[in-house]
Amino acid sequence: MMAEQTMTIHLRIWRQPDPLVRGRLVDYTIDDVSPDMSFLEMLDVLNERLIAKGELPVEFDSDCREGICGSCGIVIDGIAHGPMKGVATCQVHMRSYNDGDTIVLEPWRADAFPMIRDLVVDRAALDRIIIASGFVSVDSGQAPDAHAVPIAKKHQDKAMDAAACIGCGACVAACPNASAALFTAAKITQLYYLPQGHPERGRRVRRMVEAMDIEGFGNCSNHGECEAVCPKMISIQSIAIMRREYVRSLTIDREERMASAT
Amino acid sequence: MAKPYIYAWSTLGKKIFAALSGLVLVSFLISHLLGNLLLFHPDPQKYNEYSHTLISLGWILIAVELVLLSFFGLHILTGVWVTLNNRAARSVKYEVENYAGSPSRKTISSRTMIWSGLVLLVFVIVHLVNFKYGSIPQTEDGMHDFHGMVMRFFKNPLNVVGYVAAMSFIFWHMRHGFWSAFQSLGVNSPLYSKWLYRAGLVLAIALVAGYLAIPIYIFIFVSI
Amino acid sequence: MPLEPPREDLPAMTEKANAAMMTLDAKIPAGPIQEKWDRHRFGVKLVNPANKRRFKILVVGTGLAGASAAASLAELGYQVEAFFIHDSPRRAHSIAAQGGINAAKNYANDGDSIWRLFHDTVKGGDYRAREANVYRLAQVSNAIIDLCVAQGVPFARDYGGYLSNRSFGGAQVSRTFYARGQTGQQLLLGAYQALLRMVDAGRVKLFPRREMLDLVTVNGRARGIVCRNLFNGQLESYDGHAVLLCTGGYGNVFYLSTNAMNSNATAAWRCHRRGALFANPCFTQIHPTCIPVSGEHQSKLTLMSESLRNDGRVWVPKKGGDTRTANQIPEEERDYFLERRYPSFGNLVPRDVASRAAKMVCDEGRGVGASRQSVYLDFSESIGRLGVEVINERYGNLFDMYERITGENPYQTPMRIYPAVHYTMGGLWVDYNLMTTIPGLYALGEANFSDHGANRLGASALMQGLADGYFIIPFTIGDYLASGGLEAVTTSRDEFKAVEGEVRGRIDRLLSIKGSRDARQIHREVGHVMWDNVGMARNEKGLRRAISELARLREVFWNDLRVPGKADGLNKYLEFAGRVADYIELGELMARDALAREESCGGHFREEFATEEGEAMRRDDQFAHVAAWEWTGEGAEPRRHQEDLTFEDVKPSQRSYK
Ligand SMILES: Cc1cc2nc3c(=O)[nH]c(=O)nc-3n(C[C@H](O)[C@H](O)[C@H](O)COP(=O)(O)OP(=O)(O)OC[C@H]3O[C@@H](n4cnc5c(N)ncnc54)[C@H](O)[C@@H]3O)c2cc1C
Ligand code: HEM
Ligand code: HEM
Ligand code: SF4
Ligand code: F3S
Ligand code: FES
Repeated sequence: MMAEQTMTIHLRIWRQPDPLVRGRLVDYTIDDVSPDMSFLEMLDVLNERLIAKGELPVEFDSDCREGICGSCGIVIDGIAHGPMKGVATCQVHMRSYNDGDTIVLEPWRADAFPMIRDLVVDRAALDRIIIASGFVSVDSGQAPDAHAVPIAKKHQDKAMDAAACIGCGACVAACPNASAALFTAAKITQLYYLPQGHPERGRRVRRMVEAMDIEGFGNCSNHGECEAVCPKMISIQSIAIMRREYVRSLTIDREERMASAT
Repeated sequence: MAKPYIYAWSTLGKKIFAALSGLVLVSFLISHLLGNLLLFHPDPQKYNEYSHTLISLGWILIAVELVLLSFFGLHILTGVWVTLNNRAARSVKYEVENYAGSPSRKTISSRTMIWSGLVLLVFVIVHLVNFKYGSIPQTEDGMHDFHGMVMRFFKNPLNVVGYVAAMSFIFWHMRHGFWSAFQSLGVNSPLYSKWLYRAGLVLAIALVAGYLAIPIYIFIFVSI
Repeated sequence: MPLEPPREDLPAMTEKANAAMMTLDAKIPAGPIQEKWDRHRFGVKLVNPANKRRFKILVVGTGLAGASAAASLAELGYQVEAFFIHDSPRRAHSIAAQGGINAAKNYANDGDSIWRLFHDTVKGGDYRAREANVYRLAQVSNAIIDLCVAQGVPFARDYGGYLSNRSFGGAQVSRTFYARGQTGQQLLLGAYQALLRMVDAGRVKLFPRREMLDLVTVNGRARGIVCRNLFNGQLESYDGHAVLLCTGGYGNVFYLSTNAMNSNATAAWRCHRRGALFANPCFTQIHPTCIPVSGEHQSKLTLMSESLRNDGRVWVPKKGGDTRTANQIPEEERDYFLERRYPSFGNLVPRDVASRAAKMVCDEGRGVGASRQSVYLDFSESIGRLGVEVINERYGNLFDMYERITGENPYQTPMRIYPAVHYTMGGLWVDYNLMTTIPGLYALGEANFSDHGANRLGASALMQGLADGYFIIPFTIGDYLASGGLEAVTTSRDEFKAVEGEVRGRIDRLLSIKGSRDARQIHREVGHVMWDNVGMARNEKGLRRAISELARLREVFWNDLRVPGKADGLNKYLEFAGRVADYIELGELMARDALAREESCGGHFREEFATEEGEAMRRDDQFAHVAAWEWTGEGAEPRRHQEDLTFEDVKPSQRSYK
């Protein structure tokens, strides 16, 4: 093992004590960042020092710190979750940076994600999209044997690709229109590929799209930036599937719609 | 309950209309270009005959024009609406904006659809004044001399520069617009997604090249 | 069925200081083990369907246990309120489970059965689990898989379209269902969607970013909770007819563990202080294949799938202080210590055995890496045998993750691994109905103690959390609610005001110390004490040292803590400080429990109680019981109670992996 070298890192962090006060970027410098640290550990160190100096620490969300819970989320130098492909903010390590680098940290910005403090925003809007039928209506105890319905492996694999979404909201943060299309489409796509999802497919897509709109997310203009930052690399093909399902539900599926309206 | 929710005007619905109308406009662009390529024909009569055939369609032409106009209107409506919605969805902007790299399809073109669209709108109005509702000369045999009009028009360097500048926005708009329309309609699959995107680029280049070639060719090579 | 003695009885019991221990009635139904659950379900009182909506149930935590319980209860018609620390129910720590979930489906046709799953779990738990609970767990395991598939959980499938299984954690049958390396995520999303469906139906109300800080009892029954609203810092009280604690495990006492940053013991500990007994706190599971600590800045540890041990060989240099790189050390100077000590199981010995062996060689000074606190997991032999492609296909993701975190390429140099705290088998004591010793307070999932004894088998925690939530609590809670005696209670009662006052006092106290050390620093020290003395190997001296060190740290905490900011508004360092205060108290109880348990079993290894070869020595004659601790007040010694365990259906035997 070689002796560890440390780096000096300059940070420009969005500080905003509460939603009503205008925020701004504040400069900080940490001079002994180890390349082995994770990005969030670097912020822990910064906070420890801020507390020692009697200043308020930088608030940010994180939990699992291994890229699965979807809690973390910082726009790093203008890219949601930072420069690496297929990772969440918590999986960024300082060895991807060089001594002397300046890094700008901003929160997810979308009107549907109200600011709470510093880098923390409220993403409950995503839950509300799932509340609008992002599920299969089955009660505990109703299910038939797990083998009752075989599912082709290729469909199951596609369902799993979409189901991998961690609900982080990076797609919204990165989308120039603050659209939640990728998040919403990921759930629709998962249930589209599984027979269990079919009975409710029309109602599901209509309700989820409506919920997405009520929350005030933007339209999807097919920029594809969401796919590029998505820690699970969920493809915008799923957005095309969502649109097909939407058209289907308003046309072929009309009878089902009538039934569900009454 | 607030306003009733109209599925057609949802975020998905608006884009479906934008895409459908956009594709109608694309097909017009293609056919209009094909017609205009007759300007390269050495015999000026060909172009005039073509125009004459169109005009002689009478009410059919008017109907087509009306359809075209309404799609144009629909496209503008949805385009502007979508853009305003999108602005409202992020009222506090990022301090630093960046590009996440492949597979992102965010380009200058995709980010400025409203501006390229508006330029095209202004262009079309000016263009109609120039070529459709302007004074159209007649040939000896009593036909409208569209050919002569176009030729004279593009002998004026200002007109050439203006048209070339405005029509380059066809490239801007189509670079993103073409494949995007398919994606908006849900017509996309991993099988041909890449090809669709490339086709968009090819079409954008072909259209812009075709349209730009006309004024430039006339200005440089045609003598009247 | 009679209720637990009301809460007023407890102080009386405290007075009887020397009197006999509290009788812990586990309420195990009579009859042969296969019939207990059915008989019990038949025997319990039912709540009339029309009356269900009159009962409000507070569910704290939305991990697998909490989300599944809240959803199932709401489906039955109960009113449910769900509280959780995170911004969304989907973030609960269950999301991070990778490996899989067990069930006795026997789809692999390899001889599995409910009986075998039951047997394996009791044996794996080193005969410290309650047989009746474990049997029931195995019984309902199959229904979990059915339900999850119906919910749209994309379990891995074979080309025929049927579910594929793998063998996991040393099991001899393939009974583990999985969804890539994200099983916990997919199961939790299934439960989360079921929960949100009930929100849609208007039967569940979500309370995000609420941290439960205390329990409110009225007439000895759990009737409400006090939470801090983490958005705005306000204290809020909620009343209900029963409280379900589904708040997960307490592995974070150790500071470094594979648990998430927000996993904590506070809710359980606060309930313990209000009278719920805490069972087997010393039973913690250490997982052998984690990425080693890289420095003081380390905030948590990352687990790598155990499957790595299928193809990797574990070794250290033969002589201590060897500073050569791995590739410079010739074959004959390497000690493949697992293969040497356990010739028949080799690198595949159970978690606790592998972990302890690694610790032993590091203690001998033969550890590798800058900190000397890791051992090699070497793939060069299997890469040579199978080729890079095969290894890449099997472990590519894990290798990438390892490289991202450590900056080392495991295709070229061996991985370095070290054990880390992973799971806590101990938890609030519950009876067969999952009720704690406080009537109306239930504990589900990792927060309770019941099913895993002294050691949990891989892929069984997910099974247990969902079993508790989907299939057990919906039946057992009815019995309590239907038994009557629950008068109308609102949060305007004095009991609520009093508890709210206590909570506010505690928060004010944390903020008013204004010392010099932040809670994280103190927690880190607590972690060192716990890891060194109450970790993989324990002895009397170390445990006593831990108890006195923790007492000292408690002083430091309450006198020299610095919490930045204010109580109103989001303040994560304040949240964190409150949790650390509880870790210190719980850590002490863990040490006491380990001290009192003079035997080695499962995850609990007392150096004094080892065979000559250094293997665990269980003492069934003295310790075949659950130790359940009673809080007796600040600064007072806790009291130990026992629930004796009987093994009628699985005969205890000594584990051997030689
Ligand atoms: C890295 C890792 C991998 C694992 N892999 C496997 C595996 O492959 N197979 C397996 O069977 N098991 C595995 N486990 C174990 C398993 O994941 C857990 O035991 C199980 O998920 C615990 O579920 P739970 O519902 O009890 O608690 P959790 O999922 O931890 O949920 C706790 C909930 O309580 C809430 N909460 C906590 N405190 C409070 C409070 N004071 N107030 C309000 N809310 C609160 C939280 O917000 C959260 O919603 C793994 C564990 C880890 C750490
Ligand atoms: C010849 C004229 C035009 C053609 C051929 C054309 C074509 C297209 C096409 C194919 C799309 C893609 C639709 C989609 O993504 O679903 C599009 C998008 C768009 N067009 Fe046009 N368009 C033209 C004129 C205009 C005009 C005049 C405007 C002005 C308002 C405009 C504004 C837009 C906008 C804003 C979008 C992007 C919508 C979004 O963000 O999703 N376009 N256009
Ligand atoms: C060099 C390029 C072009 C030439 C030479 C040209 C020529 C003409 C002529 C001669 C007409 C009148 C024909 C008629 O009335 O039948 C016309 C009509 C029209 N042109 Fe063009 N045009 C060009 C580019 C464009 C472009 C780029 C657009 C759109 C963005 C466009 C849109 C229209 C429209 C909408 C009409 C009216 C069609 C109708 O009323 O039927 N043109 N053009
Ligand atoms: S789709 Fe990707 S970016 Fe969006 S929430 Fe899911 S994981 Fe995050
Ligand atoms: S970036 Fe935005 S525009 Fe659509 S393709 Fe992704 S949601
Ligand atoms: S902290 Fe869980 S995904 Fe980053």
